[in-house]
Order: sequence, then structure tokens, then C-alpha cells
Amino acid sequence: MTLARQLRALPSWVLPLTLGVLLVGAPWLGVSSDTRRLLLLTCILALLASGLNLSFGYAGELALGQVAMYATGAYLAGYLAMHWVNDLVLLLLVAAAAALAVGLVSGIPGLRLGGWSLAMTSFFLVLLVPQLLDLLEHYTGGAVGMVGIPRARLLGAELSSLDMYVVVTVVTVGWFAVMRNLITSRHGVAFQVLRESPILASSLGISVYRMKLTAYAISAIPAGIAGALFAFVDKYLAPHSFGFTLAVTVLAASILGGARSVYGPLVGAAVMQYGPLRSTEFEQYAQVVYGAFLILAGTLVANGLAGLANRAVARLSARWRPAPDTAAPPEATPVGPEPGRPALPTLSGARLAVTDVRKRFGGLQALRGVTLTAEPGQITALIGPNGSGKTTLLNVICGYYRIDSGTIHLGDTDITGRGTHDVARAGIARTFQTPLFPEHVTVREAVAAGAYASRYVGMPAAILRLPRYRRAAAADRAEVDNVLRLVGAAGLADATAASLPLGTRRLLEVARALVARPRVLLLDEVASGLDEDEIERLADLIRAIRAAGTTVILVEHNFRLVLDLADVIHVLAQGELIASGTASEIENHPRVLSEYLGVRQEVRP
Amino acid sequence: MTPIWSGLSIGAVYALIALGYNVVFIAYTTFNFAHAQLTMFAIFVTYWGLVVAELPVALIFVVAAVGVGLIALVEEFVAIRPVRGAHAHLVTTLGMATLLDGTTRLIWGDQALKVPAVGSGATFTLLGGRISVPEVVLILSVVGITVAMTVYSRRSLTGLALLAMAEDREAALLRGINVRRLALGAFVFTGVLAGLTGPLVGPKTFAVSTLAAALALKGFVALAIGGFGSLPGALLGGFVVGLVESLTGRWLGSQLPTVMVFVVLLLILMLKPTGLFGTTRERMV
Repeated sequence: MTLARQLRALPSWVLPLTLGVLLVGAPWLGVSSDTRRLLLLTCILALLASGLNLSFGYAGELALGQVAMYATGAYLAGYLAMHWVNDLVLLLLVAAAAALAVGLVSGIPGLRLGGWSLAMTSFFLVLLVPQLLDLLEHYTGGAVGMVGIPRARLLGAELSSLDMYVVVTVVTVGWFAVMRNLITSRHGVAFQVLRESPILASSLGISVYRMKLTAYAISAIPAGIAGALFAFVDKYLAPHSFGFTLAVTVLAASILGGARSVYGPLVGAAVMQYGPLRSTEFEQYAQVVYGAFLILAGTLVANGLAGLANRAVARLSARWRPAPDTAAPPEATPVGPEPGRPALPTLSGARLAVTDVRKRFGGLQALRGVTLTAEPGQITALIGPNGSGKTTLLNVICGYYRIDSGTIHLGDTDITGRGTHDVARAGIARTFQTPLFPEHVTVREAVAAGAYASRYVGMPAAILRLPRYRRAAAADRAEVDNVLRLVGAAGLADATAASLPLGTRRLLEVARALVARPRVLLLDEVASGLDEDEIERLADLIRAIRAAGTTVILVEHNFRLVLDLADVIHVLAQGELIASGTASEIENHPRVLSEYLGVRQEVRP
Repeated sequence: MTPIWSGLSIGAVYALIALGYNVVFIAYTTFNFAHAQLTMFAIFVTYWGLVVAELPVALIFVVAAVGVGLIALVEEFVAIRPVRGAHAHLVTTLGMATLLDGTTRLIWGDQALKVPAVGSGATFTLLGGRISVPEVVLILSVVGITVAMTVYSRRSLTGLALLAMAEDREAALLRGINVRRLALGAFVFTGVLAGLTGPLVGPKTFAVSTLAAALALKGFVALAIGGFGSLPGALLGGFVVGLVESLTGRWLGSQLPTVMVFVVLLLILMLKPTGLFGTTRERMV
């Protein structure tokens, strides 16, 4: 038990690194040359599958193009080594760059339409590989294959096959370290947000298109490198090594190991290489087996072997230490502001001005020339019957809908017609009627995602764990702790966000929006479904946010809460503003009474 | 003129595949990777019926329609129904496609098999180009099928229910539409359609186990050109792809057609990603 606890206390990179060192050192541990070759092929397949994991498992785009990038890397490295320059470092760089170019060229159009077009474009690309190789027969050797690739040289020294093994394994370990650093950074959470809810991602300032393209393009790099390495392993390249079967093999390895995992591809690739790929008879039945496997894995297995392993570890550690720190159910933790609540940092609000905005959906005129302004340090409430255009107006402000006419200004900046992620970056944060939280993400990660775009740290910094990244991560941690204390959810930092009760999730959405340090905060029916106590706490929180200086826009059905909080109230009905004014003016406004409230008891019980 | 006729007739095949994609798209807002495999299977069944078993023509149509319809039924139950989400479906239907490819290869091998025409196979000159009777029948049938399906989807209650379902599944459910059964019906229909048209397509494409992959891609390009969910768009897109392919082959050399089709796909996605008849639906929060 003590041993187990000590094991759990080790940093998460210790075990993989140890295994990596063992992998590199395998030849000196008495591994036969057959096994060595299998390990080598496993590494190459794992590199391919790992790239697929990034684009499919994390960014949510099924892209089979890795094979095309792999072929590009392989043939380019082979050709250059034969005719131009034979230096492995240089060739690996060239192969990675060329693969990246292939990824961009096929990814840019493929991602334009969304949905399945990247899958199909990349699938098409894979089927083109043999034809293109044939077309470039002069360089590639066509159907005969590329013969006569020399041994690779590294800094002038020729590499023996043992050296080559070491190079391949070291590169593989290096790539998995890159992948691990990327996925465990805030970018990893951003990918998960992207996969599960593009709507949420863009409201956090993430450009869905660019982020998916980035994932797909990065996934090209290991594929290109794997290709270059493969060229020197057999010193012979033939078109049939780069066919559709390989694409399916990579997909199978990825799904088997766990598409949403860092190390899964290594396990998946090892199983594939040790199992089916070793038997020569397998080729005949390969398609049938892969097909059946994909159907089975797609319907039954959640996140492959990595998912199974994670669940097993979670269960074991729960058994080993039924300690109070994990066993306390989330419900038992008091949610709500604690005494001595931390202060919000000063937020510089900006004036939001909506001028004569019109929006029509087919035959429905949802907004008929709405004009309103919201001032910093004030709460501007937007009320109206269902279907009056409140949420449409919010969506228009956020850039989810393109307006037919009118303008929207944030401070002095015209944000009319800008994309959602652009609007978010300009400083508008929001909550949703149905709180959006990706599955499997902790409260801390989910809330920290609010800072992803507003205080962006690039992927290279995250991968290399530069001081800049470490500083940002520490600052994030402090700020998230602070905001969580503010909304009274400090005890829940490590709980899974999506599993919490509705009221808590609403408060967490506010927390996430606050972490972005918004200039304008849009709250969409943030009180609905909350009980009296929770509403009381929420009201306190909103007042604190107003005091911090942000412009708050509150869309709400709870009339009493609105009267209580709002400095200015606008009433919408059928897409038009019918009244604007302070709480007391609105409360007694005849049109509001007749068109919106109708039932008087709601106001004066 | 001959390349144009030949482009139109192979284009009709792509249009058929795109129509199949579209029906599944309307019914499930998802993509059935394996639809081209259904058509390929129907072609092999035709070959078997005509050459091996020597069945009467009418029976071949029945066998192909029932057989492929059953495969579609099985696919719906194992690959579509148990999973949710378009990307999950991509994996399972890709699995189904691979499974069918492999099965076809195990049964019929790798060689291209010539499929005789079900009726007359004669060729004649039309407007200065050579065209065969099966090609004419193929083009006319596909145009007819598209028109019939378009009219049906706009006029009949079932068609309207399908469109309602594509628009908003839950609202359709609340209107008393049996969404599951209707969707299943649509899915099986794509199988039956593939089965019925297999004997028409076979003489044009031959029966070969790599056929489906090529058809799947070009059908997808046809769909991308016409726009997701548009039946006339699928027809037009199919013809465009067929013509691009056949004219490229005629004027630029035999290695380039597929590359050219890929270029067309990239261009369409860059310039008009919604296709010619597609519409963008605004996102809801």
C-alpha cells in the first residue's frame, strides 16, 4: 500500500520515460534481431497512429491522410539520399516540412466545409498516392519501387542497422514527449473543447477552423518523419506499402490503443505488429478483420486499451486509498461564497453599442431594428417573452449569426460581422442557457480554458515547457483558484465539470467567463433552474462583477432578480424594444405589464 | 462527342452514389462510407446471376435488390444504430466498407470481371459520338430516378416527413413521426436502390473489388459539387465529375483523370464549400 502510494506520487512522466529508455536500450538487453525489427516497425506505426490521435482523437476530425504524408516523407528522403545529400537530421527536417506542406494543402480545403469533407479529402489523397507515384515514375521508380537507397549518414558517419534502431527509437521517444507536453498543456484542453463543442470553443476565442487545421498539420510531422525513417529501414520503397490498407491499419492501431490518449498508439501499434501484421496469411483476410474490428471498436470500445487502463487505475487507486480527499461526494462540498471572499481584479469594461440591428430567419423577422447600449460598471438587463429575440440578440453580438443590417460596436471598435472567436478575443465573454462543459475535463481545466485565447501561449512554448509557459501555467492556476473561491467552488477544482449539478455548472460558466477578464459579460438565463439560495449567491456574484468594472448584460426571465440587479432594463417583444428604463420605470410601464408580464402575481405576490 | 457520352454515363454512376449518400444524409445527417460498396456488391451479384448462375434477368434484379437491401439493413443495425455522432459513424461505416471490400475479394478475387448487359449491348452513333444501349439506359434511368425522388420528397407525406426529420429530429418526433422506422426505411431504400441499379451499372464499370473505393470518392466529389442534401445537385455533380474525368482522359492523358477530379474537389471546397445547391444552416446556441 505504501509502495502504491509512492508510485502514485511520482511525476506522470517517470514511467513512460523509463519504458522509453528500455526501448532504446533493448538491443543491449538481449533482444533478438527479429524482435528488434518488430520494435522498429512498431515505432514507425506508432508515429503514424500518434499523428492520427492528434487530429482524430483530440481535434475530432477523422483524417486518413497520414499515409500520404508518410509516403511523401519516405520517397523524398529516399530520393534526396540517393541523389543530393545524405544526412539524416537534414532529411528528417525536410521530410517533416514536406509532410506539413501536404497536410496544409489537403487540410485547408478539406476543413472548409466541416463534417466529413476532411475525412473524404484525405481518403482521396491516400488513394491518389499510387497514381502520383506512377506519374512521377522518373523519380519514384513507379510500380517497380525505389531501389538503391543508401544507408543513412548522421554527421558524416554511416549508420549500421543497430544505429538505425537507436535513431528510430530515440526519435519516437522524442515525439511522444512532444505529444505528452502538448496534450497535458492548456492546448490539450482546448482540443477537447473543440471536439465536443465547436460553439463553446469559438466563444472562448478559439478559431475552430484554424485549430483543427493546426492539429491536422501537426499530425503530418510524425508521419513525415516516420516515412523518412522507414526509407532507411528497408532501403527499398514500393507503392504497395502506402496503400489504403495502411491507412486502415493506422486507424485500427489508433482506436485499439485509444484515440484519445498520448501513449495508446504505442500499445496499439505493438499489438498490430506482434499480432496480425506478422502472419503472411493475414493479408488475405486483412480487410475483413479490420472492417469487423472497426465496427466493433466503434460501437463497443470507449477509447481503446488506454481507456481500459485508465479505468483500471482509477478503480485500483480508489480501493487503495479511500481517503477523504477523493471520496467526498461533490454534493457534500458547500458551494457558495465563503466568508472573506477574495476580491475580483479590476476589469476594464467597455461600452457595447448595438445600433438598428435587423435579423431575419427565413420568414421570421427575429430582430426589427434594435438599438441599445450597455455601459461599463452597470448591469443591463434584457427581458421579454419567449421568442422575443433576446437570445438571438446575444448570438448576434457574439457573432454566431450574421446580421442583415445595423452595427455593433465594442468601445470604439466596430465588431459587426466578425467571427465568434474574433468577438471573444475582442473581450466579450458569455454563458450559455445550457451550460457547456466537455466530458472528462476537470473543473480546473474547464475554467482555465477561459484564459486560452485571452492570454495565449503558443504551442512551441508549451511543448518545450519554456519559462513563458511555466509562468503562464502558474498564473492560470492562481487565477483559477481565485475565481473558484469567488464563486464558492474551490473544493471542486478536481471534480469532473460535466458531472456537477446544474446550479454549480452555471456558476462555473460564470467563473470561466471571468477568467477571460472580459470587457463585456453576457449572461444568458443564468438563474434558470437555480434554487432560492443559489440565486441569492448568484446575485451577489453579479454585483461583485459589476463592481469590478465590467459591462454586464443579463438576459433573464426571473423578473424579481432583474428588478433587484439591473441598472437599466430593456424589454423586447417580437424583435422590437418596447421599453427601456430603470427598474421602477419598467415595473410600472403599461406595455410591459400587458405584453410581457400579463400575470400580475409574478410581480406582486 | 464520344467522350461526352462516356463522361455522362460514368457520371450517372457517380450521381447514383451521391444520391445514396444524400438519402442517408437526409435521414441521419450522417455519412455512409459504405454506400459505394453496396453498389459494388450489386454489380457482383449481377455478374454471378448472369454469368455463373444464368438466372433470368427479372430474377437478377430481385435478387440484387433483396440481397443488397438486406446488407443495408444489417449495416443499419450494426454500424449506424448503436453509435451516435457523425464522426463515430465515419469509423463504423468505414469498417463496414472495408469489411464488404474484403468479403468481395475473398469471394470473387482481385480480377476485373466483365459484366454483360442485361438487354442489348449494341452501340450506335448519336449526335456524332458512339454510345451503347446500356449507357443510354443508365443515363436515362438515373435522370428518372433523380426526378422521381425529388418529386417524391417534396410531394408525398413520407418525403416531407423525411425532410422534417432532417431539419429537426426531435420536432419531427413530437409531430408523431416514427423517426427510427422512417430513417431505417430510408437506409434500406438506399440498399434496394443500389441493388436495382447494379445490373445497369455493371456493364459500364466491370466488377472489380477496388471499384467501390473509386466510386465512393467520385460520388463524394459529386455530392460536394451539388451540395449536401440536394438531389438535383447530386445528379449535376455526378455529370460534372464524369465529364471532367472523361475529357481529361481524352485530352490530357490516361494517368490524369483521378488527379483532375481531386483538383476539382479542392477547387469546389475552396471557392464554394456549400456546393452549387447547398445551403448553410445557421448555427444554433
